[in-house]
Amino acid sequence: MVHYIGVILDESRYEQIKGTPIEEKVQSIFGGALKMLVVEVPEDKSEQILKAFDRARIDSRGFIEDVPVAFRRAVFEEIVKNKSLDIIDKVLERLPEIQELAKKEDEYIPPPEIE
Amino acid sequence: MSVLRMILKGGELMPKLNIPPPHGGELVNRVIEKRDYAESMAAGAIEFDLKPTTLPDGTPIRHVYREIMSVCYGFFSPVEGSMTSADLEGVLKERRLENGWVFPYPILLDVSDEDLKALDVKEGDRLLLKLKGQPFAVMDVEEIYKINPEEVATRTFGTPEDNPEVVREPFNEKHPGYMIYKMMNSNVIAGKWTIINPPKFREPYDRFWLPPAECRTVIKYVKKWRTCIAHQTRNVPHTGHEALMKNAAYTGDIEPCHGILVNAIIGAKRRGDYPNEAILEGHEAVNKYGYIKPSRHMVTFTLWDMRYGNPIESLLHGIIRQNMGCTHHMFGRDHAAVGEYYDKYATQILWSKGIPSFGFEAPPNEVEKGLKIIPQNMAEFWYCPVCGEIAYSENCGHVDKKQKFSGSFLRGMVAEGVMPPKVVMRPEVYKAIVKWWKVFNYPFVNKKYLENLNANLEVNLEPMEIPKA
Ligand SMILES: [Zn+2]
Repeated sequence: MVHYIGVILDESRYEQIKGTPIEEKVQSIFGGALKMLVVEVPEDKSEQILKAFDRARIDSRGFIEDVPVAFRRAVFEEIVKNKSLDIIDKVLERLPEIQELAKKEDEYIPPPEIE
Repeated sequence: MSVLRMILKGGELMPKLNIPPPHGGELVNRVIEKRDYAESMAAGAIEFDLKPTTLPDGTPIRHVYREIMSVCYGFFSPVEGSMTSADLEGVLKERRLENGWVFPYPILLDVSDEDLKALDVKEGDRLLLKLKGQPFAVMDVEEIYKINPEEVATRTFGTPEDNPEVVREPFNEKHPGYMIYKMMNSNVIAGKWTIINPPKFREPYDRFWLPPAECRTVIKYVKKWRTCIAHQTRNVPHTGHEALMKNAAYTGDIEPCHGILVNAIIGAKRRGDYPNEAILEGHEAVNKYGYIKPSRHMVTFTLWDMRYGNPIESLLHGIIRQNMGCTHHMFGRDHAAVGEYYDKYATQILWSKGIPSFGFEAPPNEVEKGLKIIPQNMAEFWYCPVCGEIAYSENCGHVDKKQKFSGSFLRGMVAEGVMPPKVVMRPEVYKAIVKWWKVFNYPFVNKKYLENLNANLEVNLEPMEIPKA
């Protein structure tokens, strides 16, 4: 079974893929309130991801969730670098580096500046 | 009741509903506020410091103080303390106490061989249970007996062989509720508990602490709800939860339920959960900012280390909320579930036709000494771009277009610092998350939060001197 990783696009991320072949793959969800790219992940590779991050899980939609922010950032970086959604192998090559960053995330994630 | 006050339904006269009686007939209230009575009860008792149940690596997964609180303040009525071996056997065999009333889970004060030896306690003795170094509760020992914790764990949740109606996989060490029982000590001290030094809840728990007796009074005389539907939660609400609450509340009798009682389960946490503080204030934001008026919506909590027992847990939820004064209870798919141990619809199967292997030939509200609360079994809500709204799965025909709500998807968004669009989460609910994120430097439960919670619990106890016997 194929699983998925959803990459949320805020304004700045959208700017980075605008005009590239990726732009037409952007999905609009929740009545246009949110833009997202969906990366397909074959089962053997999703297993690798679940093993790398102890809290990662597949949700009821088949999406790989509860992964570290560093992992999501790496997915987006590879999409931009390769102008493609077929990047999961490139992300997996970076796993040790991502796991190192993820450790720091357990202590602190900067809160957003609202109000 | 006057026939004029009844409506004809299905050939039977159906009266307008009223707040049901407490489960077992009477609310348990075993809390002594007056110092001199409390001191005289504790004088000369054998002291015992309550300890958490832990995983082999030392991680706390349960603290019996939460059960003592829920018993003594009446949430678990008619249970009055740590169960005798006869009660335990009844619960494991057919989810009934020795007196016949339905009750789903073993409630036990378990102690290690070492502690039991040091205590040198026998039937008839009085124990003084201490929490955070202070006197907390007393109990008169009725029975001391041995259990096989693994057997208790297995029989509590069931097996695919013994409970083929709903159990799909054998329970194992990955299931948090199973581990709570499996890691218990093998000696049980049974007896009724009485709190003699009522703990004080910290901010913001104190604002949401509404034990059954007071909750019933508030429902009846302050909110003036004749009917009220309970919503189970251990999550910050997204708009899917809000839609569930609003729509489920359309049930009632001659009119929709007057009130919605949110009751959060507060207990042992796992990394990645939302902090308790954000859960309570997130739900509060739903009424504070008018998405469901405060005159119709109220947020409360119960102390309990969730067992994730799906249909078994739903029985406890029904009992708690009936005791709090609710007429109805909403049950969704995968109610109080983790993993694939139970059928997705196990809870709804229990409440629509019963599960004989668990002791229910009929739904729990249709058996003798069963519950009086009425189930409202709900299917799913999703966002439908064609309907242009949050749609009920049994209404919306655009199944291939559905966009499901996913709590973990939202957590991912929050962690990345993206404010969820208001169609998925109300901005004020998100602000409640951010408020506590700034306090804990983290949006979710992490190691530090757990260490802090496990050391301090949800309460503080005032110092109390016990006179020597
Ligand atoms: Zn639709």
